[in-house]
Amino acid sequence: MGRLGVFLNLIGGVHMYQIIALYLTIFFEFLLALAFAFVYGESKRTSKYGPIQEKGYTIRKYYFIGLVAVMGIATYLTLDDLPYHNAHAKESITHETKVVKVVGLQYYWEMSEESFTVGDYVEFKVTAKDVTHGFGLYNENLELVAQTQAMPEYENSVYYTFENPGTYKILCLEYCSVGHHVMTKEIVVKPKGGQANGI
Amino acid sequence: MESSIHPLAKKTVIYYLMTTSTMLILMMIFGVIMLLNQGELIHITPIWFYKIMTAHGIGMVGIAALGGTAIMWYFLSKYIKLNPTIFSMNFTLSLVGVVFILIAIFGFDFSDAWTFLYPLPAQSAQFYGIVGPLLFLFGVLILGIGYLIMYMYLAKRLIKEYGGLGKSLGWDYIFRGKKGYGPPAAVVATTMVIITNSTAIIAGAIVIIGSIINLLNPAIRMDPMLAKHLTYAFGHIFCNATIYMAVIAVYEVLAKYTKRPWKSNKAFLIAWNASTLFTLMIYTHHLLMDFAVPTWMLIIGQVFSYANGLPVMVVTAYGALMIVYRSGIKWDVASSLLFLAMFGWVAGAIPAIIDATIVVNHVMHNTKWVPGHFHTYMGMGVIAMILGFMYYFNKTEGSIKHNRFDTFSISLYFTFFIGIVGSFLYAGSISTPRRWAEHMPDWVLSDQVGAISGIFVVLATTLITVRFFTGLKSLEKPT
Repeated sequence: MGRLGVFLNLIGGVHMYQIIALYLTIFFEFLLALAFAFVYGESKRTSKYGPIQEKGYTIRKYYFIGLVAVMGIATYLTLDDLPYHNAHAKESITHETKVVKVVGLQYYWEMSEESFTVGDYVEFKVTAKDVTHGFGLYNENLELVAQTQAMPEYENSVYYTFENPGTYKILCLEYCSVGHHVMTKEIVVKPKGGQANGI
Repeated sequence: MESSIHPLAKKTVIYYLMTTSTMLILMMIFGVIMLLNQGELIHITPIWFYKIMTAHGIGMVGIAALGGTAIMWYFLSKYIKLNPTIFSMNFTLSLVGVVFILIAIFGFDFSDAWTFLYPLPAQSAQFYGIVGPLLFLFGVLILGIGYLIMYMYLAKRLIKEYGGLGKSLGWDYIFRGKKGYGPPAAVVATTMVIITNSTAIIAGAIVIIGSIINLLNPAIRMDPMLAKHLTYAFGHIFCNATIYMAVIAVYEVLAKYTKRPWKSNKAFLIAWNASTLFTLMIYTHHLLMDFAVPTWMLIIGQVFSYANGLPVMVVTAYGALMIVYRSGIKWDVASSLLFLAMFGWVAGAIPAIIDATIVVNHVMHNTKWVPGHFHTYMGMGVIAMILGFMYYFNKTEGSIKHNRFDTFSISLYFTFFIGIVGSFLYAGSISTPRRWAEHMPDWVLSDQVGAISGIFVVLATTLITVRFFTGLKSLEKPT
């Protein structure tokens, strides 16, 4: 796991990626709206275009450099999380990997194992038998924690470490025809040395 | 040297815009029905939900392309002589394609989404018959052929007028140090669209023909991953091209209203060349969750998706702000919508870029975040550009005048469109999957907000469309 992933896990867990995406979007949209509102407010006044262009191009230079810098830093931080398929998997203490074969079919999931224990570092080897499906692993709070495409003729491995006990769900995340929304499966994660909540 | 549009082309622009605006309202109603169903305010069967979803997807892409084409042809006609028959031919083939598609969906239960991800059509054919998928695929193919012929014709005309597509993209000014300004923005944008969208349509035609052969003879198969690449190369670029056609209206109209030139200087030309290249490359961000795809290809998907934001953010949107700033511009439906459309485009690019980040995509791909960002730049970007152009067309070719009623319609449209995309983005952030007919209780509230917002957007669009149709009467007796 890269530096960004470690940091995010420290401050609030995997769901932080969604929260950050939402707040970053709101923040940048706000700045954008501000810029458009400012220009609209100034639009009724008139000035010569030449000096506006001159000043505008100078500001644009810094704006461009700023944008490239933001994108560069984001690229550095996020690609540091590669390999991405286990970007959200905490390394297990034992480094033991539990390999689980997953097959998607209209409209159900077949799994070689369906019961897990907290701390399990799992490699889901995902494929499909008929059409393309999407393997989406949801935690008990119904937050998407990992996903990969389930493709016929291909196998995608996605890794996840179960940190909390409970009932997880696998939802289909690629449209696969009229039963797409019923293509779900529950899997149980037991606490270490005990049983899952409510089981 | 500016020339006026051919009378037949002008008439055809009207046909394009009438079809676009009418279909837009219908497709928006489809969108609202889906949200009402997800929000448990009405109940329709899953098969009907997915049929409506398929129609909504292909219909919206189709009308964005029709409206964008009308804009491109109208303004390009100012700079080069164009044969209106080609323009009419594209319209006719589009209509034939639409009829095929509608029959496929509502007559033969085709519901495999507008992305028709191979081998889904063949799989569905086992349950619903082969006619639906065949009609749908042929419909899209016919529609694509119309565009391809039009682009080939436009390429021929640009090559004749400018000496090559490189020259109409301004390479003389970028690489050979030619001084002054490059070709008009409409020419540069059209060149970009010809290059990117012809590539897209050829990619689409390959996967469509492959799928048709597979339907007719299931023993002949394609590689699903190759098919997926081709499908997204087609879908992504085709959707993007609608924006690059429609944005020509922003360049032309804002320059005219502000009485300031919007010339193609070196930065402008570099930006459009970069957009050409990046638009071709970044479709791989649709495959970030296919780990079988080589890592370098996925990194390209992320890095160049970021980079593709730069031309619009630094040149086009910034240019719109600069040209309007202290210009004394007269605000009416056209200038307001085209200015706001630039906001919509960039506002949609922001969550799109964030989602193109692989680690984010890992927990947001195929959630409602995705329709959240593309509804922003399509609905508040491309469609706003088309609606703005509809008013501009009636004003320029006829005698329509802005009134307070128009200001109300625009405010209604944008306020409630923010409600739709806000509800989608929020739903994405709480992991709501996209394309689900029925939703879990945790997700329903955001659907209801989206549905109610959608009703008001339909109302606003209807008001703007009614004004367009009534304004058409003024064309016959210009003042």
